[in-house]
Amino acid sequence: MKATNPKGLVLNIQHFCTHDGPGIRTNVFLKGCSLRCKWCSNPESIHPKPELGYNPRSCIGKKECGFCLGGVCPESAIFVVGPGDKVQVNWDLCTNCGACVPVCPANALSLFGREMTVDEVLDEVEQDSAFYHESGGGITVSGGECQLQPDFLAALLAEAHRRGINTAIETAFNVPWEFTEKVLPHVDLVLHDHKLTDPVRHRKWCGADNSRILANLKRAYETFPDTRFFARTPLIPGVNDDEEHVRCVLEFIRPHKNVIGYELLPYHRFGESKYGFLGRIYEMMDFSSPTPETIARLQAIIDDVRNDENASK
Amino acid sequence: MKTETRRIAINFGGGYAPGLNAVVTGAVLAARGLGWDIVGIRDGFDGLLFPDRYPEGGLMGLVPGIVRNLAGTGGCILGTGARSDPFHVRSVNADNIVEELDRSDELLALVQKEDIDAVISVVSPGALGILLKMHRKGLKTVCIPKSVENDVEGTMLSFGFNSTLSFVAEMLERTRQAAQSSQKIGVVEVLGKHAGWLALQAGIAVCADAVLMPEIPYDLGKVATALQGNFKAGRTSGLVVVAEGARPLAEPATASRVDAGVKATLSPGATGGSGSHVIDRSGRVAEEVALELQRLTDRETYPLVLGQLAKAGAPTVVDRQLGLSYGAAAVRAIAEGRDGVMVAFQAPDVKFIPLAEAINRVRAVPVEGGFVQTARCLGISLGD
Repeated sequence: MKATNPKGLVLNIQHFCTHDGPGIRTNVFLKGCSLRCKWCSNPESIHPKPELGYNPRSCIGKKECGFCLGGVCPESAIFVVGPGDKVQVNWDLCTNCGACVPVCPANALSLFGREMTVDEVLDEVEQDSAFYHESGGGITVSGGECQLQPDFLAALLAEAHRRGINTAIETAFNVPWEFTEKVLPHVDLVLHDHKLTDPVRHRKWCGADNSRILANLKRAYETFPDTRFFARTPLIPGVNDDEEHVRCVLEFIRPHKNVIGYELLPYHRFGESKYGFLGRIYEMMDFSSPTPETIARLQAIIDDVRNDENASK
Repeated sequence: MKTETRRIAINFGGGYAPGLNAVVTGAVLAARGLGWDIVGIRDGFDGLLFPDRYPEGGLMGLVPGIVRNLAGTGGCILGTGARSDPFHVRSVNADNIVEELDRSDELLALVQKEDIDAVISVVSPGALGILLKMHRKGLKTVCIPKSVENDVEGTMLSFGFNSTLSFVAEMLERTRQAAQSSQKIGVVEVLGKHAGWLALQAGIAVCADAVLMPEIPYDLGKVATALQGNFKAGRTSGLVVVAEGARPLAEPATASRVDAGVKATLSPGATGGSGSHVIDRSGRVAEEVALELQRLTDRETYPLVLGQLAKAGAPTVVDRQLGLSYGAAAVRAIAEGRDGVMVAFQAPDVKFIPLAEAINRVRAVPVEGGFVQTARCLGISLGD
């Protein structure tokens, strides 16, 4: 039976990914997030509804075009300033209605997020099925926080299994447990974050504390013993790049044999241009990537502890 | 003029400018002169929306005794609402999910509950849209624009610009001395996202070698030629002033390109290398210009970023007087029954421009105007 409902809000489908699960995978990014991590490299995934993005480098200017001006925007949010030629967006007035998008011939104006059915997503994912079979890959659903669309996600993953595609999700687990209960039965591998240990610091840097996250993680490990979990920490210099946090995570995952690994994801700034597309401020301007020495030192701690644990089994 | 007793409020949007306390002083003295009560809302609208954050209360009663010696001081007695937008207020719900809520209706109700008849909001031009939306919902508001870059359309002189200009000119002079002693080219980035007034006027004041600004896309080859001419004439150092919004005529060939595959995987949809002009990053322009001039001139360069330093400090007498005038004029506007307007200084008068006409405008430097001609006459390269 073909599953055509429900629909989900999809941000992007990225082929030939090798960093989000085993083998060659296709990443499906869903829109909407339950946290506000200051280092987020996908700011367009945060808002739960379609939103306007504007790339001024693609704009061909008022003289050559100007189609988006002159009343297209019902809020008068698109304008040209002074002697300039490229348009600008008044983000305070923009309501993300998208009226300007179809008139832009250069795709400088676009909408992040579109509704897709389960079949539409998987028909695209399935194009690379030969690579999945050869490499042990499959589909990874990420975000944002993919579990915020539990009905769509569960249906998508169930159908993926039906089509013989291995499934993985990337999640921070900051969702009601009922969502996880619905989704995890259809997941082969759960890549999940341990961003910060202290709840007050977690709230400061990620927008909310981690009490629910830790409770969900523990419950998920125990409720789904046959599902594989892989812990990750996005390593942010001056925030969580310390031995204490790494050891706390190792201690947290130690009792659970279905947590098969723990890796560090060094902070990067690849996504900072997208803040400009959304008229937002990137709050990590003064941060740079962790040094190789820091990464090596913390990785050595992980290797030592995990090796000791494996040896004692 | 109506003189019945009324109660008004004043608040400040995100970002400092020299003279904010002068604005408070002007508004308080004018309001009290009419027999009105005036309160300050702390940190933009946060004092009303999040009163629990303030042990002394989210509103501050303002009387002449509090502001008597305030006009000449830096900072802002009421705080400024960094990114305070009542239409997108970040909250954590019962499920621990972070979301942005529209609390504008609630804000209106709180304003009414506090018996506030009108609000004077001191905001950057970019935030006028928020006040326009609040006005359309029923908030009685008079706005005072603040911009140390002097880029407010309709206003000849924004308060804060004179103080910032003085500071920047002093810093440029110090940079010149440092460049002379080390025989290098100093490249100083100053504020000026949309308009180059600060870069141009400060550059003229110190007779810089080059001034680059948003209104005139630059060709660094032309700047390098000008600098080389100076070196041939016996000079051993240089000074280049760059507004943060200045753009090259063409994308620099040296802009780095990150492996597209890695970037696409880790952040799908991201574009541009570190030389991308999609976002505004303090220091970016200074770095790029310094590096490219070094390549073109074979002279060592060093970038320097004044950034937000320029916005701090006590106001000059000019800005003190302007701030007081703006504050008093806003009260006068309310007394005259005006609503949904922006105060604009059009010498020698103060005018009131409807908010709908004030948004989406920038007062840019006229490229054929007097200041640009002066710069050219002084031999300052504008990169064109």
